[in-house]
Amino acid sequence: MLSYILRRVFQSVLVLLVVGLVAFAMFRFVGDPVDTMLGQERTMQDIERLRESLGLNKPFFIQYWDFLVRAVQGDLGISYRQGRPVAEIIAERLPATLELAAVSGAFALIFGIVFGIFTAIRRDGFAANAIMTLSLIGVSLPTFLIGILLIYVFAVELRWLPSFGRGDVVDLGWWSTGFLTQSGLVALILPSITLGLYQMTLIMRLVRSEMLEVMRQDYIRFARARGLKDRAIHFRHALKNTLVPVITVTGLQLGSIIAFAIITETVFQWPGVGLLFINAIQFVDIPVMAAYLMLISVMFVAINLIVDLLYVAIDPRLRTDGKGA
Amino acid sequence: MTRFLLFTSTAALLALPAAAETFRWAGTTDPQTMDPHAVNSTPVLGFLNNVYEGLVRRGRDMAIEPSLATAWEPIGDGAGWRFTLREGVTFHDGSEFNAEDVLFSYRRASSEEADVRSWFAPVSDVVVVDEHTVDILTSSPQPLFPDSIANWMMMDAGWAEANGAELPSRDTENFAMRNANGTGAFMLESRQPDLETVLVPFEGWWGEADHGITEAIFTPIQNSATAVAALLSGEVDMINPVPVQDAERVDANEGTRVIRGIESRVIMLGFAHDHETLRNGAENPFADLRVRQAVAHAVNVPAILQTNMRGSAEPAAQLVAAGTSGYSDANGERPAYDPEAARALLAEAGYPDGFAFDFSCTNDRYLNDESVCQAIVGMLAQVGLDVTLDAMPVSNYWPQLREDNFDMYLLGWSPGTFDAEHPIRFLVHTSGDRLGTWNFGGYSNPRIDALLPVMQSEIDPVARQAAMDEAAAIIQDDMAYVPLYVQPLLWGVRDGVSVTQRPDDFFILRWVELE
Repeated sequence: MLSYILRRVFQSVLVLLVVGLVAFAMFRFVGDPVDTMLGQERTMQDIERLRESLGLNKPFFIQYWDFLVRAVQGDLGISYRQGRPVAEIIAERLPATLELAAVSGAFALIFGIVFGIFTAIRRDGFAANAIMTLSLIGVSLPTFLIGILLIYVFAVELRWLPSFGRGDVVDLGWWSTGFLTQSGLVALILPSITLGLYQMTLIMRLVRSEMLEVMRQDYIRFARARGLKDRAIHFRHALKNTLVPVITVTGLQLGSIIAFAIITETVFQWPGVGLLFINAIQFVDIPVMAAYLMLISVMFVAINLIVDLLYVAIDPRLRTDGKGA
Repeated sequence: MTRFLLFTSTAALLALPAAAETFRWAGTTDPQTMDPHAVNSTPVLGFLNNVYEGLVRRGRDMAIEPSLATAWEPIGDGAGWRFTLREGVTFHDGSEFNAEDVLFSYRRASSEEADVRSWFAPVSDVVVVDEHTVDILTSSPQPLFPDSIANWMMMDAGWAEANGAELPSRDTENFAMRNANGTGAFMLESRQPDLETVLVPFEGWWGEADHGITEAIFTPIQNSATAVAALLSGEVDMINPVPVQDAERVDANEGTRVIRGIESRVIMLGFAHDHETLRNGAENPFADLRVRQAVAHAVNVPAILQTNMRGSAEPAAQLVAAGTSGYSDANGERPAYDPEAARALLAEAGYPDGFAFDFSCTNDRYLNDESVCQAIVGMLAQVGLDVTLDAMPVSNYWPQLREDNFDMYLLGWSPGTFDAEHPIRFLVHTSGDRLGTWNFGGYSNPRIDALLPVMQSEIDPVARQAAMDEAAAIIQDDMAYVPLYVQPLLWGVRDGVSVTQRPDDFFILRWVELE
């Protein structure tokens, strides 16, 4: 067991290092930061001096090595655009993204399961068909368009909800939260729906098909034969057995919610790390881009590692050092 | 917690009968620093013009007027300029503004770390004569020196030293990046980079303030569709810019309107004058004047303005817009749209069937840049030119141009000094380390190189304008660039707000009037 864990951790670190190398190799294609950093009245000497001081003249693997050496010491560098430590900027922006991801994840899970059960039980009903059709539209429209559409309906026409920003936030130590003010809560609604819509559709369809599958099983038939109430059959017997794959998928999707937040954050001017990343690309702010990509890949690798380890815990057949076999 | 307290306290203020006028505005780009000497860019200098002030400033018509200096006069026969400082001016923290602050601001702004140091290239020394008199000595006569320092902002020596911000910095954090202490009409109340910047009026300002604003909040909104939505829903009072395609909507909407103006930025075509070959390996036809003239005649600028700019822009004949100082009235005619003449010129140059080349273009720098370039590709195809469009983000664009990796390219230029000498210095003078630094195509004309020092040092305005006229004529005759149009300024405001647009795209908060 221990050797399995060690091997998986080692593999994860390797993946991280490769991601970083690829990222640094790509930065050259994003552009050259010196032009945006210096104004139009710069001289060629200014350009050369800046390139030199930023280390941009070095080959990318040396730049990557320098980054790693400093990152290991906890120094992620200074943002080219803001002139502040990258770690500080990311720590400032992360709560916004995590809160948004949490709310849209909860939205996707709750509505996905409710709608999934509903459309499975009332398979041929009008409402179920309407939900299925609408969800198809929701999943085929790009996030950007859905966001703009929601803004125009709920912010411009109805004026119920704000079109941008995070509202007022309360600082709790190093964490800033929008959960404690009314404007903060209201501001979460549209971005959460925009971000969670795709995942909601996914979960809904998964629950629906699992549920339909389970409903055909013998034990459901026997439950009916025993004269149990529909409610008990649906929720106690059928639902429980559909949730196992749903939980797995939800766990894996959490990472992509955070990663996909980039587009939603741009549309709603949501001050999270995704918007920070978009800014960084436009400015060719290499330290911020590098830190963000490393953060996201650490997250994905960690989630996958945890899932793998959970499987091992659940399924004894995967334990290779096994007394079990 | 402070933000929360601020929220509740403003809510309390709103409940009082005295009208608190909060003005909210949004722009695409957050000013990346509050340090007035660190970055030479419109978002930063435009924003900080509300907080800091220079010795001189530009009025609504871009004319130079007194600010922290009440008068200035040349010293001797072009040895420099003597500035008389305004008395009784205080910084936001209460300390007095005097000649020592000018000297300090000169040292700071001309240091290696400052992006604005090129403004001080002709300055040899700054001498404090007395508490309210400063001499700025120049190595050669500089008739336009006061015009060139309108954005050189004064910082308090004592404040900077007390906070360790004696120099701007690029690779460490600096107190002046997030805090400000100017003499301007507004004080920096709070600053959250990329999120929100709050200004409040400075009670001790030396000038007359009649804007009626008690608090001004700037929020960057990058996505233009979101910014338009925020204006239409009344969440902000003003946005800059309004996308060209949304202008009619904002006008048609009840309660909002578009303020239209002309930016000083001229959009033009540049050519590979000195390349041996095109990117595809063929011989470079752009070395031939007739080919460049053919391009100029083939591009239908009125049609571009009609379709891509929806009638908001103006055609350009020179590298600066009409009305800019030094503009040559004698050369106000741009090449007419004439595809027949273009075909004839191409045939004469030895390309009766046209030729193939690449057209480099930005897709995120100028208003509708990529769609304008696509239109140009279509127009050139009609005279037989087989153009491949190579559109890319600006962060890739400048490196490509600097590496001479282009055949023909799109360029926009806004003269920082608001004078016609500026584009000649950067775009037309023979390319070198300090001069011609944006002359990517390698155009070179010894007469232009000889005229530039005259424009920079000639005291007599008539002789100076003669040099300007001659240079403008040479640039047109040589077709060094093909100026296309002057980019429009489109700001959206809600009813009851009036603003003043300046061609340098600076938003001056004290000119806002709220009804």
